[in-house]
Amino acid sequence: MPEIIVKVKDLSKSYNGIKAVDAISFSVYKGEVFGILGPNGAGKTTTLEMIETLREIDHGSATITNIDVATNPYKIRSLIGVQPQSPGFQDRTKLTEIIQMFAAAYGERVNPRTFLNEVGLGEKANAFVEQLSGGQKQRFSIVTALVHNPKVFFLDEPTTGLDPQARRNLWNLITEVKARGISVILTTHYMEEAQILCDRVAIMDSGRIIALDTPNKLIEALLKRGFSKPPIENKANLEDVYIDLTGKKFKSEA
Amino acid sequence: MSKHRSDSWQIKLYTVWVFFVVNLRRLFRDRVALFFTFLFPLIFLFVFGSLSNTGSLNFRVALINDSRTPLAQLYSTNLRKDKTFNIQSGVSTLAQADSSLSRGEIDVIIELPKGFGQIINGLPTGNAILRYSGSNQQEAQALASIMQSQFSAITSHFTKSGQTLKVITKQSDAHSLTSFDYTFTGLLGFAILGTGIFGPMSVFPELKKMGVLRRLHTTPLRVWQFFMSNMLGQAVTGLMSLGLMMVVAVELYHLKIVGDLATLALYLILGIILILGIGLALGGWAKNERQVAPLGNIIVFPMMFLTGVFFPRYLMPQWLQSITNYMPLTPVIDGARMILTQGKSLLDLGPQLAVMGVWLVIIYAVAFRVFRWE
Repeated sequence: MPEIIVKVKDLSKSYNGIKAVDAISFSVYKGEVFGILGPNGAGKTTTLEMIETLREIDHGSATITNIDVATNPYKIRSLIGVQPQSPGFQDRTKLTEIIQMFAAAYGERVNPRTFLNEVGLGEKANAFVEQLSGGQKQRFSIVTALVHNPKVFFLDEPTTGLDPQARRNLWNLITEVKARGISVILTTHYMEEAQILCDRVAIMDSGRIIALDTPNKLIEALLKRGFSKPPIENKANLEDVYIDLTGKKFKSEA
Repeated sequence: MSKHRSDSWQIKLYTVWVFFVVNLRRLFRDRVALFFTFLFPLIFLFVFGSLSNTGSLNFRVALINDSRTPLAQLYSTNLRKDKTFNIQSGVSTLAQADSSLSRGEIDVIIELPKGFGQIINGLPTGNAILRYSGSNQQEAQALASIMQSQFSAITSHFTKSGQTLKVITKQSDAHSLTSFDYTFTGLLGFAILGTGIFGPMSVFPELKKMGVLRRLHTTPLRVWQFFMSNMLGQAVTGLMSLGLMMVVAVELYHLKIVGDLATLALYLILGIILILGIGLALGGWAKNERQVAPLGNIIVFPMMFLTGVFFPRYLMPQWLQSITNYMPLTPVIDGARMILTQGKSLLDLGPQLAVMGVWLVIIYAVAFRVFRWE
């Protein structure tokens, strides 16, 4: 049995009497990518924000490495890295300086260049964030969330608005993060993304978890219920064509 | 092991230091911020500096009449009607008048000593004393000659020859303040007010809009660390800006620095941090700039007009002075002037420091309470 890093029990949150998150429970294992799927307003972001100590928990509990989130917010923040939906950084600040600041916020002193080189941003070390492209900004944001080597990494819809190359780069990055033994919890609207990245997914609707398993088991269960769809003839799709023609820019950079 | 380290004070202060250094560098890349921090107060200094060099048309006079003779009574009544002499009410003793003179609130003291105007051998006799300070020499000379001609007119009713009523001028020992001394320390207050309040009031909502503070909120960074890095930054840039103003004032407007510069710097840092607290409270509370602007103006404008920034407080009626004594910026400006131009030490500034101390506690208590990261 793998080690449990995040344990969520009966977690609930209401806004004006409406239950945004309704008594959900799940566990996330060490080095696992855990996806939370669901339509807008299902309670995905609220769930993440409660575990991230950003939102008060109404009922239930969440622990990370057995440390209670509600009672030890500062300890929890030193154990987690957070990638918000749209990462914002102060302008007129060099990438190296921002990394120094984030490291300092965690009480660490790091060599920013090492981190930037890891994600192919070494040449941009002295650039300001506002000079980065959307994909570069996402990669940079991930770097700042990982400067303190956290136990859990949260990503809220990380690939929304990215072009296909940037999306694939991000997938590679997340896989690398997982390989370092960091647990990853992400939300997404893209099923393809969930299927490729996630070891297990929870599907949320109206504040509840309505399904939780590995993507394959969920698909098997669906097929067992007698689901079928017309077989696909194509061995490639339009995205494959697009990627093939435009190339993976990031790989050569790194 | 790393957890142990991040709990120590040195590490927590290291965090503050990094934020301070990076944000200081950021400020120097921002032309608009540089303009408002350094140039804007200087522009005001140029404008007000040239204004306060133009002499006034009437003279502020304290009249101390210790003589009971009819002539002394008549003379002081006539003096009060004379538009050249702006006789200050409320100054009745020589000691009061002396301290008013040293604060630059009046230009001269006219003293009619006991027995002035006594008729001896059919002639009115006595010496009126005109006291002035080093910075009012010209005014004193002008007034002395006016008075002397008035005295001549009086004696001419009694005799055609001789002058038995005289004006004696006396320069007081105390260095007195010029109106520029008030203008200048008021402008120091203006600079502190501008960057301390409007700075965070515009920067914090901007950082919130960009999601920067929200992102920092996911780290173990504490509000006090964030505040403290701002205080350091403000203290450093504030002192640079105020220092620059001082150099300009000394070079162009002949500001006389009497006091100890280290004491002044220490006092100004305290003032900068105090006023910054108001900005931290406003900016930390505000969700966006539109929300905070009206509140900011309600707080800033009264301070601009009532604490001696643009108008010296001695021009105000007594009741208003006693109220404005307790506004946060008042002791900053008054104290700075007392150190700068009168050479007072921190020990002399007990009342000012007390008012500032009370405000410091109140303001920062509010700032910490209302701060929000998003």
